[in-house]
Amino acid sequence: MSYKKLLQEFSPEELAEAFIFPVKLSPKKQKEADQQLSEALRLSRSKMTKKERLTGSLMGLKFRMEDYFKGDKPNEEYSFGYFLKLYIELLELKRREFAAEIGIDETLLSQFINRHRLPPDYMPIRLELHSNKSIPAELWLKIIEKDREREMLSNKAAMMKKERKYVTGGISVRL
Amino acid sequence: MVIVDLATGQKLTVAISSVENKDFKQITKKRYSFDWKKERGVADIFKLTILGRPDILGLVAIVDFPSELRLQIHLICASAENIGRGKQYRGIVGCLIAFVGQQALKKYAGLACVSLLPKTELRSYYKREYGMVDGGPQLFLDGAGLQDIVNKYLP
Repeated sequence: MSYKKLLQEFSPEELAEAFIFPVKLSPKKQKEADQQLSEALRLSRSKMTKKERLTGSLMGLKFRMEDYFKGDKPNEEYSFGYFLKLYIELLELKRREFAAEIGIDETLLSQFINRHRLPPDYMPIRLELHSNKSIPAELWLKIIEKDREREMLSNKAAMMKKERKYVTGGISVRL
Repeated sequence: MVIVDLATGQKLTVAISSVENKDFKQITKKRYSFDWKKERGVADIFKLTILGRPDILGLVAIVDFPSELRLQIHLICASAENIGRGKQYRGIVGCLIAFVGQQALKKYAGLACVSLLPKTELRSYYKREYGMVDGGPQLFLDGAGLQDIVNKYLP
């Protein structure tokens, strides 16, 4: 239905509550509009405080972590180390500085980032404290659980073979 | 995110997800005001439903401008029964705008921006209701304004 027809039936406010309409401009006007928006954005970004920018970055990181743990399968690209690296990057800290701030050795931090070691329980807690509770320990822990799931599933056949000898009993029913 | 059932005052959690090809059987011009099939390939289209229910209550088409760290809302509409005084739910468009804000923050972090080109008569409403600011003929949200709208509609 066209905008004009809808205006005959509803007030502008009622339409604004229910729509954002597509607006077509001539190529010339569109170009001018894009330039004006670009300039307004440049100005707005130049006035943006460091705190404001960091808040937006933290929100974005948190949403991405939530999306990841809500997903059905572990994604190869993502891991605790991946999100930890993003966190350090958005704070614009060097790894050495960040490791010192959470009381661990830089080498250990690199092992977590590069997936050479799964993080111990204190890491999610220290990360929650470091982020001033912006990213809760539970969220980091859910990412770690995804990593553990992926690692176990990739080694499951070998682990089954290895552990078989320890299981001497068992039930006869199978679901 | 929640919408409010205006008859009962009950808050209902919504889910927003990508529109799939099979959804287009349900997305008629009569109920959703536009030919949404035309948006395929031009924009990313998302649907809003009450969590666990299949009925689509609102749709949004988004165009990405990576060089400007910006997502443009090309089109939003609530379903026909959610337009005007007799509407069933409140908050459909707000939730969809907040969702676009969330996507922008995920993609472009602290410098993320959401923009739209409004109809002249509706411009002041979007500014008042969602805190949008002027960027020439277009309106936009970034920084604290963008964060506020996302936080307002998130649970």
